Amino acid sequence: MNVLRPFLKAMLTNRSLWFWGVAFMVFWLVLGAFIFSSGLPSTAIPAFTASWFAVTSLFSLSTLAIGISASIAYATAALAYGFRFTLLKPRDYLFSLLAGTGVLGLTLTVIMLGSTVGVFGARFHLTLLPADPVALVGAAVLAGAFMMALSVTLMLLVVNFLGLRNTSFVSFVPLLLSYVFGLGEVNVAVPSWLLYGSPFSDISALLYQGFTGGAPPVELASASSGTLGWPWLLASLLAWTGLLLLGAAYLLRHIRVRSIEEGRQM
Amino acid sequence: MRYLPGVLEVQGLSVVYPGSRSPALVDVSVTLQDQRMVVVGSNGSGKTTLLRACLGLAPVTRGRVRLFGREVQDARGLLPVSTNLSEVYRLLSVPVGDLIRLQARLKGGNTTQASRWIREFELDPVLRRPLHEISTGQAKLVSNLLALDHDPRLLLLDEPFENVDLSRRRRLVSLLRQARGCVLLNTHEFELLRHFEDWQLGFLLEGKFLGPYSVSDLDRLFLNRGEVPESIGQIRTTLGTFSITRDRGEAPLKGATTFQSLMERLS
Repeated sequence: MNVLRPFLKAMLTNRSLWFWGVAFMVFWLVLGAFIFSSGLPSTAIPAFTASWFAVTSLFSLSTLAIGISASIAYATAALAYGFRFTLLKPRDYLFSLLAGTGVLGLTLTVIMLGSTVGVFGARFHLTLLPADPVALVGAAVLAGAFMMALSVTLMLLVVNFLGLRNTSFVSFVPLLLSYVFGLGEVNVAVPSWLLYGSPFSDISALLYQGFTGGAPPVELASASSGTLGWPWLLASLLAWTGLLLLGAAYLLRHIRVRSIEEGRQM
Repeated sequence: MRYLPGVLEVQGLSVVYPGSRSPALVDVSVTLQDQRMVVVGSNGSGKTTLLRACLGLAPVTRGRVRLFGREVQDARGLLPVSTNLSEVYRLLSVPVGDLIRLQARLKGGNTTQASRWIREFELDPVLRRPLHEISTGQAKLVSNLLALDHDPRLLLLDEPFENVDLSRRRRLVSLLRQARGCVLLNTHEFELLRHFEDWQLGFLLEGKFLGPYSVSDLDRLFLNRGEVPESIGQIRTTLGTFSITRDRGEAPLKGATTFQSLMERLS
């Protein structure tokens, strides 16, 4: 018994997701196109645009994690009750979240793509379309699934072992890590092994690849800094997602019921 | 002799919440085979905790709960069990209309009955709003109706009349009296008992259970200080030991507003 439709509805009617995941990111795109692009040579425009698309999409996708974390923290009793006294099974619940975040990941990425094309097109008077839409769709769906796996695992670790007092901070961890790695790639020379190993860098690099059709650079701000191989990026992201899903499945079966009031004792 | 499992068997149950020094429930034992029971207790006496423990949602430190012969912790897909505890309806933040559809699917049924009740209780305006955005009384009613839907064989109801207006209370009493399964209903309101004359009666005081008696016997029950020879039940509390007697004693339960006030008066 899956809960995909109500999950999608709950997420799509979440105003915070639309504000922080879309409106705020479009604001960053406008800044990128009109403020941070001064003196940019015309040859660098495609890579520059792809970098902004990749990083803002990563930030946008990470806001999904906040909504999912909050819904888990609120639903510990509902989940425990549901597994015992309804047709809901942990596997079905995880599948619903996985499929739902895949759809949401794709939705957010498409919105960011449209916004990037519109904003940067208006700035540079160019039509910049993604070179590899299939790769882009795959990366977006996988990115959504990863954010879900990460947020569910982190939240269940906290719920099962620490209590709800720490949930507010934990729900923002995926967002914070996205900013650390996303901005890090733009501003710092991050070693390539760390880029391959970090699922956040994997997501932005794969999105970059989908947009430009070429291998992503080690430094997003410098196209001449060497490139990353997409099979390794994909393998790393799949491995992270798979491992986290296994963790989430185990933790969900042993979910500990927490009172919401516990989370309010901040 | 063949063992016939009760619908609900609670044996020697104790619950202590993390960070709390005093137990919420102490050595509680209750069995329901096909009966309905109303449990009366003041705020903080452990009524909600008893229901949560029956559903495996409270940290049990001692004792056991069995539902239809199965340990509650091992229960999976036990559809005939239902409750009005609002926390179990927070699976997703969706409007009440969607919540009704979701619960119907999760219970393997349809929404016909719940939709009819929603109209009868004039709750149509809340269908488009999530449970946490409607009034406390409306949320309680929605939880009650979700609990009563799909003809549960064991219904655990926590303060179902709390914040519900008088006309809807009457309709709810009528629905509850028509329910076919076992019912364990908590309330702190003595005056509600007259609606459930043929039900069993239990008291919860400082996490300790006293009973079972019969609601129809309420007029004959008395509370006494200390241990008395003819007692039919005793309880030790922080205010001292109290005994229940039938037909004569110090303070009649008839006309009492709360058990706590009776104890305070006697002590």
